[in-house]
Amino acid sequence: MATEQQTIAQPFDFAGHQLSSKQRGLWNQAFVRLSRNRLAVASGTLLLLLVVVALLAANFDVVQRHEPSAQQYTNINGKPSGEYWLGTDPLGRDMWARVLDATLLSLKVGLGAEAVVLFLGIAVGLLAALGTRWTDGALMWFTDLAYAFPDLLMIILLRQVLFGRDWPIVGTGSPQIPGMPGYLLVTILAISFVSWVTIARLVRGQMLSLKQQDFILAARATGATEWRIVRAHMLPNSLSTVIVAVTFGIPTLIFAEASLAFVGLGVPAPAASLGTLINDGYDNLLANNLLVIWPAIIVASLMLCFTFLGDGLRDALDPRTRK
Amino acid sequence: MLVYAIRRLVLIVPLLVAVATITFFLMHTVQGGPFDQDRPISDATRANLNARYGLDEPLPVQYVTYLVNLTKLDLGISFSNDRPVRDVIGERFGISMQLGLSAFAMALILGLALGVVSSVYQNGALDYVSVFFATIGAALPSFILAPIIVIVFAVEFGWFDVLGWELFNYKKMVLPTIALGTLPTAYVARITRASMLDVLRQDYIRTARSKGVSEFLVVINHALKNAMIPVLTILGPILAGLITGSFIVERAFSIPGVGFTFVTSVLIRDYGVIMGITLFYATIIALMNLCVDLLYGVVDPRIRY
Repeated sequence: MATEQQTIAQPFDFAGHQLSSKQRGLWNQAFVRLSRNRLAVASGTLLLLLVVVALLAANFDVVQRHEPSAQQYTNINGKPSGEYWLGTDPLGRDMWARVLDATLLSLKVGLGAEAVVLFLGIAVGLLAALGTRWTDGALMWFTDLAYAFPDLLMIILLRQVLFGRDWPIVGTGSPQIPGMPGYLLVTILAISFVSWVTIARLVRGQMLSLKQQDFILAARATGATEWRIVRAHMLPNSLSTVIVAVTFGIPTLIFAEASLAFVGLGVPAPAASLGTLINDGYDNLLANNLLVIWPAIIVASLMLCFTFLGDGLRDALDPRTRK
Repeated sequence: MLVYAIRRLVLIVPLLVAVATITFFLMHTVQGGPFDQDRPISDATRANLNARYGLDEPLPVQYVTYLVNLTKLDLGISFSNDRPVRDVIGERFGISMQLGLSAFAMALILGLALGVVSSVYQNGALDYVSVFFATIGAALPSFILAPIIVIVFAVEFGWFDVLGWELFNYKKMVLPTIALGTLPTAYVARITRASMLDVLRQDYIRTARSKGVSEFLVVINHALKNAMIPVLTILGPILAGLITGSFIVERAFSIPGVGFTFVTSVLIRDYGVIMGITLFYATIIALMNLCVDLLYGVVDPRIRY
């Protein structure tokens, strides 16, 4: 028998292989997955572009080109030209400046209302899930009640209740928050008081299911306090669901404000949101349909971008859809 | 099931009382009263008007009176045209309901068809077309869609009328229905597709095919019936939303429905109409949700009450 040198099985070099691939955390992995989703990246980029241009226009005359409220009766319903890129409206106001101004205002409403919604929703959801059975029952009855109201009717009523007061910050009185006038806050509050229910239910459901998980039991066994468990374990674990809900929530809130403006309950003139512009343009539909088309394009792209970004985020953050 | 239905019906009452209470006091905190118009009126006239409509009583008394009248289904009198609120709502609701129901029919028929077709031809060309439609439709709110379709189909092509609503007159019916119905159609299509894809992979579908059932019957009888459960859950809120949330489309096409009446009544602080419409809508929403919950039991025999 030929005595061949047989290779002895070597132990697998775990350390070498393990260290060769970079360790990645949950958020890092999610980010990598998101960046592979071309549609989501394109939407995110377009959104960022819109925000940046709108912000630049609000701060630099070079970008804004004309005052959004400056009227010029020699050039009404003007066609797009080198001087007025998107044309002018029936009062001779530059549409480029007005559309950008309105975009910024609508974004402010969407983001501001989402912030309030998030705060209220997380607070109520946490209380419902972590409090006693009695607080849970009371809070859930309250959210049921909020569901029972016809949303837009309630927003309209709340807006009328808060509107035209001489209170400071949320009204016409001083002081005012710069860049966030009282009438804007009124709209934000009216919309968010009706819209927080969804997030509250979501957070409550997440908390109730997380409560039963083994790692929470483990944390409790190591002696973590109740507050630490909530802050360090439960909130971060429900974060991905909340982020997705927020991304889908912002366009709904922008939509709510635009609906108000479309029926004539928007911000007072000369301020204008995208809904106001569409409302104004609708009345001049036969004379100059560009007035409706520009803001409609912006609203549609905002809606589509947030939807695609939300889809991308959901795929990136939800462990069940990982390939 | 009957006991369950009755218990749920009874539970609607405290909900409505809560809605009535909140709306009543919110509405009275709106600045100004129903008779503060541009043209000032004399104090004597104002006092007479207030007495005529019971507005001279203290607020809690007005509140109790309102609730007592409510038990007799008396919604009070509209300040703007001195007619019973019940008649005003009844007259306007007919139009809103026609509009809402035709949009609902569109959502149900077109949405189900799109969803079923795209799930049967998953990842095929038809699937991409219908998913594309569903995504775009979900992102286009009615106040964007309305001007676009009016510009294209009414102004440029002249196929339809720009304004108005009339039942069974296609020139006045098609555009408002599309404007209102596109969003729920997209939504129904999306849910149907997801649910059908799930059901089509089940074992009993394979069993049905192996028995020799034709593909058409498998899809319609075996798959769609079971895939309807998640779709049903959203149909209730969708129908309620369509019937109650049509005021944007009503404004866009100048249709005198309930939604638009509500907006004007808030602006002129017509208390009776505000209360009436809010309660009416809250009742519809509550009843729709109840109907959906009861339908579950019909569609899914595993659910018992």
